[in-house]
Amino acid sequence: MSFLQAILDGLLVGGVYAVISIGLTLVYGVMGIVNFAQAEFLMIGMFVAWFAWAYLGLDPVLAAPLSFAVAFGIGWLVQGQLIARVLKAPSVAQIFLTVGLLIVLENGSLLLFGSQFRSVTTSYQTMSLSLGPLFISVPYLIAFGMSLACGLALWWFMRTSWFGRAMRATAQNPMAAQLMGIDTALMYKIAFALGVGLTAFGGAVILPYVTVFPGVGGQFVVLMFTVVVLGGLGSVAGAVVGGLAVGVIQALSSLFFPIQLQNLFLFLVFILVLAIRPQGLVGASR
Amino acid sequence: MKRWIVIAVVLAVACLLPLTLNPTGYWIRVLTFTLLFAAMAQAWNIIGGLANQTSLGHAAFFGIGAYTSTILLLKFGISPWIGMFAGGLLGGVAAFIIAIPTMRLQGHYFALATLAFGEVMRVIANVWTPLTGGPGGLSVPFVPPSLALYSFKQLLPHAYIALAALVVVTIIFEVIRRGAMGYRLRAIKENPAAAEVIGIDTTKVKLQTAVISGVLMAMLGTLYAQVAVFFDPDTVFSAAAISVRVALIAILGGVGTAIGPILGALFIIPLEELMNDLFSSGAAGLSQLIFSAILIVVILWQPRGFVTVFDKMTARFSGDISDKDRP
Amino acid sequence: MSKSSSQTGGLSRRTLLAGTASLLASPLVVSSAGAQAKPVNIGVIMPLSGANAQFGINSRNGIELVADEINTAGGIKALGGAKINLIVADATSTPTTAGTVAQRLITQNEVTAILGAFASSLTIAISEVTERRDIPLLTMSFADQITGRGYKNIFQVVAKASAIGKAQFDYTAAIAQASGVKIDKIAIMYEDTAYGTAQAAGLRAGAKAANIEIVMDDAYPLGITDTTPLINKLRASGAQAVFPVSYLNDSLLLIRTMRQQRITMPAIGGAAGYVIPDFEKGLGEFAEGVLSIAPANYDLAPDLTERFRKRYGYFMVHEALEHAVALDVLVQAIEKAKSAKAEDVAMALRGAKFSGGWTKAMTGGAVEFDATGLNVLSVPVMVQWRKKELVTVWPKDVAKGTADWKS
Repeated sequence: MSFLQAILDGLLVGGVYAVISIGLTLVYGVMGIVNFAQAEFLMIGMFVAWFAWAYLGLDPVLAAPLSFAVAFGIGWLVQGQLIARVLKAPSVAQIFLTVGLLIVLENGSLLLFGSQFRSVTTSYQTMSLSLGPLFISVPYLIAFGMSLACGLALWWFMRTSWFGRAMRATAQNPMAAQLMGIDTALMYKIAFALGVGLTAFGGAVILPYVTVFPGVGGQFVVLMFTVVVLGGLGSVAGAVVGGLAVGVIQALSSLFFPIQLQNLFLFLVFILVLAIRPQGLVGASR
Repeated sequence: MKRWIVIAVVLAVACLLPLTLNPTGYWIRVLTFTLLFAAMAQAWNIIGGLANQTSLGHAAFFGIGAYTSTILLLKFGISPWIGMFAGGLLGGVAAFIIAIPTMRLQGHYFALATLAFGEVMRVIANVWTPLTGGPGGLSVPFVPPSLALYSFKQLLPHAYIALAALVVVTIIFEVIRRGAMGYRLRAIKENPAAAEVIGIDTTKVKLQTAVISGVLMAMLGTLYAQVAVFFDPDTVFSAAAISVRVALIAILGGVGTAIGPILGALFIIPLEELMNDLFSSGAAGLSQLIFSAILIVVILWQPRGFVTVFDKMTARFSGDISDKDRP
Repeated sequence: MSKSSSQTGGLSRRTLLAGTASLLASPLVVSSAGAQAKPVNIGVIMPLSGANAQFGINSRNGIELVADEINTAGGIKALGGAKINLIVADATSTPTTAGTVAQRLITQNEVTAILGAFASSLTIAISEVTERRDIPLLTMSFADQITGRGYKNIFQVVAKASAIGKAQFDYTAAIAQASGVKIDKIAIMYEDTAYGTAQAAGLRAGAKAANIEIVMDDAYPLGITDTTPLINKLRASGAQAVFPVSYLNDSLLLIRTMRQQRITMPAIGGAAGYVIPDFEKGLGEFAEGVLSIAPANYDLAPDLTERFRKRYGYFMVHEALEHAVALDVLVQAIEKAKSAKAEDVAMALRGAKFSGGWTKAMTGGAVEFDATGLNVLSVPVMVQWRKKELVTVWPKDVAKGTADWKS
């Protein structure tokens, strides 16, 4: 019984992990850069949604597109001004550029918004549905639903739209894409902006149950990286699989191991995957 | 010839400088940590610079060293001097264990894997309370001053120990860089496949580098424990405050060069202190913000780090274009 | 004097030198002009960035309130009306940095004493410096280690973590009993930093001493984002009451998830996240009736603590109150020692009792330090949320309201 409940909770929560992490994997897939600052855009999305709730009375879930838009804009600028300049640089420079960005964003928001924790109150926060003896938390269900919608929208975009195909082409072979007339620099901008926008969208969606403060990104960094590595860095489908897997692993591990060791468990999974199958569950061998 | 004169002068100044400071004051403490972090960055530089593997998990070794010597002192009364070597040994073992699964990983993947290892150590230290004191941390006991027990009333001896450590680690770095191992590492960096072809055992070389770096970093952990006196898992196993920081120091200064970590530490640590002094009560977070903005600027416009600026200055000063062999 | 400078009207070198010399010398020259006594520098080291920043700011606010009151009332009388000059600095979240900051305040600002630093790890690091430099450190951090090392320069104004944890359990048992309910099985959940771990140890000791069965005893990582596994476990454990020790994010998560799963057993919080305004703001009606232990509470001396609410707009949270008391005690010690020298003040603090002023806000109406630096008069209190306010409900002799046990 508790086994089933754990799987159910894990899947719901995992769907959200997937949406938060898709952006990270998209950025790597198209540009080959691990954006260490990705979780900061989660924080940005949460703050945007919080302000929309506090001043416009918008439910955070409805404010999610707004979070997406704001992060998209910031991401566009960041990519053009900063990331673009290190695309050909050694990996150490790329790593530390995004690490520097992480610190700038976190402390910038500390200066702008102050340190206090902000939470929202929504009508459905303490509600749950019953499925027989199982509980389904309503905030989780809504978050999962939004994540699903977002995921489908992304899939549709990548499959059918010209931009989506152009991005995939750029990811596969930038040189060939350029020869085909694709403006790869533009594709990188879109990919990055889209990636951070998606993470911000995820942030808004989890605001009903997570309190936001400038350092909130740090709570999700482990999760996000484990998700994308497990699924395969660069694979959007992998992020979905990885997200669900991490959610379920986290929930199940709590049944058998002390909850305090939750993160340790995730790290070990993370390291094992990197050691044995770095391309992840879904990713293709590079 | 000229370079040796410069180094001798700098060393002389470095030896005399601590004497000019108040031995129980503030600046001696800043100097001690600056020297210590320079040494730590130099230990990182062996892997990060010479082997070109950006480790974001060096705190794992650092914490192992700090905890080993302190636990041995607290539980068995063993002097931290001996504990330092015990810690170094364990640090080397840890480096070996970490290196094996991560060796084949490149760039970003390697960084992520090492980051995970650092965090694993932090969680272990946090939960294994009977051994490590758990989240409450450990205090090096406040004993009467004794050289044998590495306890001093003033910070002055600590500053000299840190200086000696920096010199030793730098010498080791240079010996590797100029020696056969440095040559092999450069070959591996250029083209791993070709290196294998000409007979370089890349696995063995990488393992050796990792172990050396791990041993040194762990030993420095003991020095830190003796100066800081109190620490907890979040302090010594910290990704942000240790792992990222030492890499950052080396990178800002000039990764892969002997002087890089020194320049980086001389710039970053006193600057952080200054910012905390000026801004922290008014605008928390401002110092970190300015500091990381500088990092971004340096990466974008002077990716080789301060050492290029330094080189230009000394070249102008000494009037020669010396053959500084940079990687 | 060169011709050129006098022609251009610029500063001559001599003038510049003379001006600089007087500028450098001025701090050394005792201002004999006015009757202004030299201000007393007091260091305030709090976490102003990082996860504890909110608490650091609250603490600073409490200190500033009292400092301003004292200064407006004429400063420190024994020193000729010397004003208190607070030197505020960010402890950051790294203990070693907090230690360096303390050293800076001692060396460069020549502080008479230091107040700080909310988080026990930061306070311990600072105390390592202050003990070696013979500067008194006053704190409301309560890890047992703080007063457990035989240090002479540490002064803690609240009870120890183990005592607070034990009281968290003992008071609950008493309140339940007074309502005719017997508790046999309890659950303990705590965040795994020094704070949660230390208090949980106290809870455990209290339960063991009362022979109560602990059916769930789980630590969780501080940044936990999903508490459903914990609550699932709680539901299956058969506990009759749960004792969570959390900061804000996790306290909200826990209570909300409990509500979702329709778990109605009483939750008795462990201070920190459970006793700040944001808790009520986050939970609304679901905060009503939640009990929590607290080292002190503002309703014990409303005439004093309402001044905080008037100035800052929220009720005086316990860390602000305790720091206010600490500053008051410090100033009383300075008055008693008639000196701003650190060693004189430390001697005046050691083993002494202080009453009047803000000490009335502590239990026992006064503060008395024993040989280890612990305030022996401070007893934890159990508070309960009533209509957005915290009401002290236990022990009976300090209670302002009756405990409402909701099963």
